[in-house]
Amino acid sequence: MATAAIRTPRADSLGQRTIALIPGLLLLGAVGYAGKFIQQSINAYTKSHHIAFPDIEYVLWAIVIGLVLANTVGVPRIFAPGVATYEFWLKAGIVLLGARFLLGDVLHLGGISLLLVAIALSLSLAFMHLLGRAFKLKPKLTSLLAIGSSICGVSAIIAAKPSIDADDEDASYAIAAILALGAISLFTFPLIGHALHLSDKAYGLWAGLAVDNTAEATAAGALYSDAAGKVAVLAKTSRNALIGFIVLGYALYWSSRGQAARVGNKAAFLWNKFPKFILGFLLISLLATLGFFAKPQLASLANLSRWAFLLTFAGVGLRTNLRELGRQGWRPFAVGAIGEAFIALLTLGLVYGADRFLRL
Amino acid sequence: MSNAQPTASRRSLSLDWYAVALAILAALLVRLNLIPPVKW
Repeated sequence: MATAAIRTPRADSLGQRTIALIPGLLLLGAVGYAGKFIQQSINAYTKSHHIAFPDIEYVLWAIVIGLVLANTVGVPRIFAPGVATYEFWLKAGIVLLGARFLLGDVLHLGGISLLLVAIALSLSLAFMHLLGRAFKLKPKLTSLLAIGSSICGVSAIIAAKPSIDADDEDASYAIAAILALGAISLFTFPLIGHALHLSDKAYGLWAGLAVDNTAEATAAGALYSDAAGKVAVLAKTSRNALIGFIVLGYALYWSSRGQAARVGNKAAFLWNKFPKFILGFLLISLLATLGFFAKPQLASLANLSRWAFLLTFAGVGLRTNLRELGRQGWRPFAVGAIGEAFIALLTLGLVYGADRFLRL
Repeated sequence: MSNAQPTASRRSLSLDWYAVALAILAALLVRLNLIPPVKW
């Protein structure tokens, strides 16, 4: 159902590259703002006409508009470089989101997330490998799927691919399956969360622990509520922080079997794979905790973060190619889907337990 | 091993630093009241 299908045309100088970003950035802004406009218009109309109608977040509209555009008329090449910046806006938005967290909350919720991530990780990695063996997938493809579904989706697969010397084809299969499943979870997670009457914190934690890609996890959280989106980002960020350790583990395993290059300096390896935007998030959260920003300034930073996410959500829809799924073969997708369902159930159970015993 | 992925990996790592730099710059501009209050 999804893949990063938009190719970036080649541009030479820095000036040309910057100019090449403009059409896509405008498209991201237009799609994201259209989502926000639809949400506000529906709310205003239903309120003035006293119609009971659920408040559908702009996130869903932005993603759906992007999906429809990308899969009907397509996204012309001129927009590709700018649309590809959606991940940049996601990271900038996460750093700015630090202003909405006191460092104590980060440590409390982040600590709980890390504990749950550690439990979920070990069980889900083992389960994915059993599934891969049952479906007779190539071992390195299984490794990539396990890394992608248990840590942080596409970034983890891209980080792991050279480290375990996997094929390009395996990486594309794994990325396509993970993106497809991420897109499905966008629509299923909020429905399940509402059906189970999960609190904002519990749902956000679940989305952050179970949805693979950071962009999709952020969107799945924001689709539930603003508060759930905030918690989902924190939980997902805790999960992302472990990427280096998992990739290192796999690199050591494949190198011990003589099927990947030897890992030299392990500390340098971990630092290379560590997502640096987490440091920015912690810095802004620390500054907010120390009272560096006045209250209206904190509100401005939170709103800047929302605008950055608006561009991200537009990009999630625009880069999703429904036709690509059929070309990837059913087995990697089946392994991913069964694995994801297992991880979703496992993390839901863990979140229930944490809500009850650790007081979220 | 292909050369494409390490390049992509390096690019995504530097992307992290650019995102952090932009966010910190924005935070400083807000802190120094150099940009008007941002509405949503």
